[in-house]
Amino acid sequence: MSALTRLILCLRSAAFLASLSVGGLSGLAQQVPVTEHILSNGMKLLLVERHDEPTISGGWVAHVGSANERPGITGIAHLFEHMMFKGTPTLGTKDYPKDLEIIAAQEKLRDEMRREDDKVRAAFRRGEVADPMKPESKTARYRELETQFKGLIEEQRKILVKNEFDRVYTSGGGSMMNAFTSVDMTGYFITVPANKLELWLWMESERLLRPVFREFYAERDVVYEERRMRTESSPLGKFAESFEALFWESHPYGWPTLGTPSDISSISKADADAFFATYYAPQNITVILVGDFSTPEAVAMSKRYFERIPRGVNEVPPFIPLVNPQPAEKRMIAEADANPQVDIYWHTVPFRHKDSYPLTVLGQLLSTRTGRLYKKLVLGSAVATETEGGQYSRRWGGVFNITGEAREGHTPREVEEGIYGVLEDLKKEEVPAAELQKVKNNFAAGEYRRLSSNFPILRQVIQVEGLGDWREINEAGARIQAVTAADVRRVAETYFKKETRAVGTYTRKEGPATGANDDLAGLAPDQRPVMMKIASQIQSETSVEKLKQTLQAVEQRMSEGDAKRKVFMGLYRKRLQNRIAELQK
Amino acid sequence: MNHRLHSYLFLMNARISSPCRPAVWLRRSLQWIAPGLVAIAAVAAELPIPDRPEKLTFAPLNYEPPDPRVSRVVLKAGPVAYVVPDRELPLVNIVVHVRVGEYVDPQGKEGLSGLAGHLLVRGGSASKSAEELEERLAFLAASLNSSVHESKGTISLNLLSKDLDEGLALLREALTAPRFQQDKLDLLRQQQLQAMKQRNDDSSDIEDREREALSYGEKFWLNRLDTQASIEAVTRDDLAAYHKRWFHPANFLVAASGDFDRDAMVAKLETLFTAWPFQGEAGPAVPADLEFAAPGLYIVDKDVNQGRVAVLLPGILRTSPDNYAIALMNMILGGGGFTSRIMNRVRSDEGLAYSAFSMFRGGVYYPTPFHAGFQSKSRTVAYATSIVLEEMKRIAQEPVGDEELETAKRAFIDNLPRRFTTKANVADAFIDEEFTGRFAKEPDFWKNYRTKIQAITKEDVLRVAKKYLDPKRVAVLVVGQKAEILKGNPEHPVDFPALLGGRVVDLPLRDPLTLKPLNVENK
Repeated sequence: MSALTRLILCLRSAAFLASLSVGGLSGLAQQVPVTEHILSNGMKLLLVERHDEPTISGGWVAHVGSANERPGITGIAHLFEHMMFKGTPTLGTKDYPKDLEIIAAQEKLRDEMRREDDKVRAAFRRGEVADPMKPESKTARYRELETQFKGLIEEQRKILVKNEFDRVYTSGGGSMMNAFTSVDMTGYFITVPANKLELWLWMESERLLRPVFREFYAERDVVYEERRMRTESSPLGKFAESFEALFWESHPYGWPTLGTPSDISSISKADADAFFATYYAPQNITVILVGDFSTPEAVAMSKRYFERIPRGVNEVPPFIPLVNPQPAEKRMIAEADANPQVDIYWHTVPFRHKDSYPLTVLGQLLSTRTGRLYKKLVLGSAVATETEGGQYSRRWGGVFNITGEAREGHTPREVEEGIYGVLEDLKKEEVPAAELQKVKNNFAAGEYRRLSSNFPILRQVIQVEGLGDWREINEAGARIQAVTAADVRRVAETYFKKETRAVGTYTRKEGPATGANDDLAGLAPDQRPVMMKIASQIQSETSVEKLKQTLQAVEQRMSEGDAKRKVFMGLYRKRLQNRIAELQK
Repeated sequence: MNHRLHSYLFLMNARISSPCRPAVWLRRSLQWIAPGLVAIAAVAAELPIPDRPEKLTFAPLNYEPPDPRVSRVVLKAGPVAYVVPDRELPLVNIVVHVRVGEYVDPQGKEGLSGLAGHLLVRGGSASKSAEELEERLAFLAASLNSSVHESKGTISLNLLSKDLDEGLALLREALTAPRFQQDKLDLLRQQQLQAMKQRNDDSSDIEDREREALSYGEKFWLNRLDTQASIEAVTRDDLAAYHKRWFHPANFLVAASGDFDRDAMVAKLETLFTAWPFQGEAGPAVPADLEFAAPGLYIVDKDVNQGRVAVLLPGILRTSPDNYAIALMNMILGGGGFTSRIMNRVRSDEGLAYSAFSMFRGGVYYPTPFHAGFQSKSRTVAYATSIVLEEMKRIAQEPVGDEELETAKRAFIDNLPRRFTTKANVADAFIDEEFTGRFAKEPDFWKNYRTKIQAITKEDVLRVAKKYLDPKRVAVLVVGQKAEILKGNPEHPVDFPALLGGRVVDLPLRDPLTLKPLNVENK
């Protein structure tokens, strides 16, 4: 790292800040001093030297995500991420040749088991099997093979050293070890004490040089449990999955990163091997180190360890799919175990597109407690309890998303209409200067807040590099600050069209878990605040006598007025009765 | 609301693993000595790359945790402050901690603390309406937030150092003269009511609620949850009275970190707390009158295809002399992520769960239970539970391995610097010691921490496992499809009720607005 870049990071900005107008911090960007190095095998190395804490946060990003899969093996990028922790020839086993033998024998059995699975799926299609995933649906032959397979697992356990990869790091002081997969990238990271750089280099280069995918099938089951947890058992998971598919259509963003159920349970180790050979070649990987090291030393050591990995024979195939222009608005109308809400997607632009910056600013103008959505829909018309929006620039495409939860007595449709009203205002008139400046001030301050320590810096570099270019970490700030009110208005006009949006509305599915519903839902919107005030008075009243008097008065007037009023009085009476019963307990 | 656009899939569940892994709950440094990297690299370059990582050699990392006494200041105005300058970035972070919590909420007004805590800042102040205050904060890109949780209240200010004086004035006004606008109370109450309606939507929320009920008893203050009636009973006057009663300097502690000169900050804090306009009361002690559930299998029937399981046992206080041995025992059993036994068996061996863990941390004010948990498809819930119970028995019967114990110790010892990663972390760590009273008794807690961990033996681990992991006292909570779960898996037959002494208790779902048991006769 050059002395100059370090100086920028350490710069005490008091004088600099004092020179700014009261207006704020426009244009002030805090650079992250990244240096880039390309290794002989094509691997990219990014270093951020920082001597604030005695640690090094290290990670790498493989430029592959679920968008690089194909139907039939969806979920493989993510499964693969799990497999990268299973060890190497020397980590994870006491007897590598035997380990390889067992893995080969397991694969043979699994080939036959897959053929049995095909039979179950065929029976399912004919209607002979109700649920191909239930244990009872397995064929007799499958069970035999499974027993043999378990025998091999038992044999393998005798020589297995469980999760040794993790143990080496843990006993070496490593922490926060984890990895993630998204539609665009797969990232791996950990923090180690500053004296353990070489341990990190050894571990990471070994698993890229010669990973061993042992315990493949148990891990596949783990991933399926992850799917049950995130998608199948969560209130909105399965709807969200369906909505993504609706929005992206045939584009690879349409299938879930977790994979579809049938694909997850069919992926083979051979699929994984082929996937690794293509997408985990060094020329498709960027290694990143942030923390307490000397850059020249770290470069030399990184070369020594990572240049052992030969350049991949095959280049990564180019990514072809473009998002299909959407001809008409799409809607998903769902009933779920959730509060009524609306979720709107518009097709926008990918990472680094020139319009992504005004769209990002626009998202911020809409969001937060001083944003337009909150002011109009939560505080103003009061049709929503919460609402927010934002631009999500992915590598190959982008989406602008606005969500809103309907306030009691209002519908998702009202929230939706309210959202469109706010967007129409943005098309009609340019945003006032002070409002734009407020949002820009927050982006500028964010440039500092993101630099608190090594680990968050690493995560940000992984993110932008995974999306396509680490330089974004230092260039986005100025581009955001350059956005004008005219830009915001232009992108509002360009992207917020009826035919480019997909709308998901959710209403609550009534069931045993929703409760007595002795609440305000039955009242007209104008009655609700009145009832809430009354309810509050009732609850703070401690004299049973007084409550009874009020009850009597209410009961005398029960028959007066229209139907709307009767509902109100009925609830009033019920609240009084409940409170009296509570006090008499 | 919409998490899928920004959520990624992770290898392991960080939320679950974080409370039990020192890796995550320990963070960073003040004084340390830079390692001789240049020297190591020079030597290493001449040697071939070894086949095993143990063959690498490393320079020692000499690290001492920061000394709280260096930063501690007793303000003339009353509060104890920890002041930690950090000139790297032009930001200042100030957090006022308040001795108050949900345990002070009166019967029938559960939720008062939460409402008052939130609205202290969000409800406006004497000179500024809530809207004006929000606008000003947003323009300054400053954050000013307040909340009261279980056993603590906080008001935090984070802003650019150029705006410090204005921020402190806003903070003072929020602390001394909140406006508690009625419209903001109405709005928040409405938002909370709607949040309440979701209480039975997610099986994890049901699990959390019923787990607390089993761990502490329904009458314990932690389980006196807000209901529609209780939050409707809270008036604006209640908020104002709550504020005057608890929010005064005798109940405050302050953490300040960031871009300032130490003495100048101390002077500013004196001004912040001087001449308080009202007298309050000292916060009462946190009640500890809990009641752990009778042993047995407790089931909440919920139609989701993955059952959630919590294996519970009565817990300990942090002051227990067994605490260090328990920490290591738990690390080996289920607290250490991939290096722990429960994770290895339930997840890696059998593929029965994505997340599988145990936690056993001494409570600060009341004993917090042992808790092992996982989520598995309905038909393997019983089998996976049997494995967890088996591992609990095993660690109480056989001494742990030398290597296992050493790995667990290293995880605690080598990760100590991560407790103190940023100066804000340092200030937070010190405040936590002071707030919970440990500083007064054990000012060198963090200094001595590694030595105490190092001193634990295999025998200690075995002893505490025997003492605390008593199979006869286990209560297991399951949330999921009851019939499927009890059916089990033909390949791994397990008599689930018999596993827990034969006692099965059906827990009904509760009405989300009243928390009274719901009739579920249609199931």
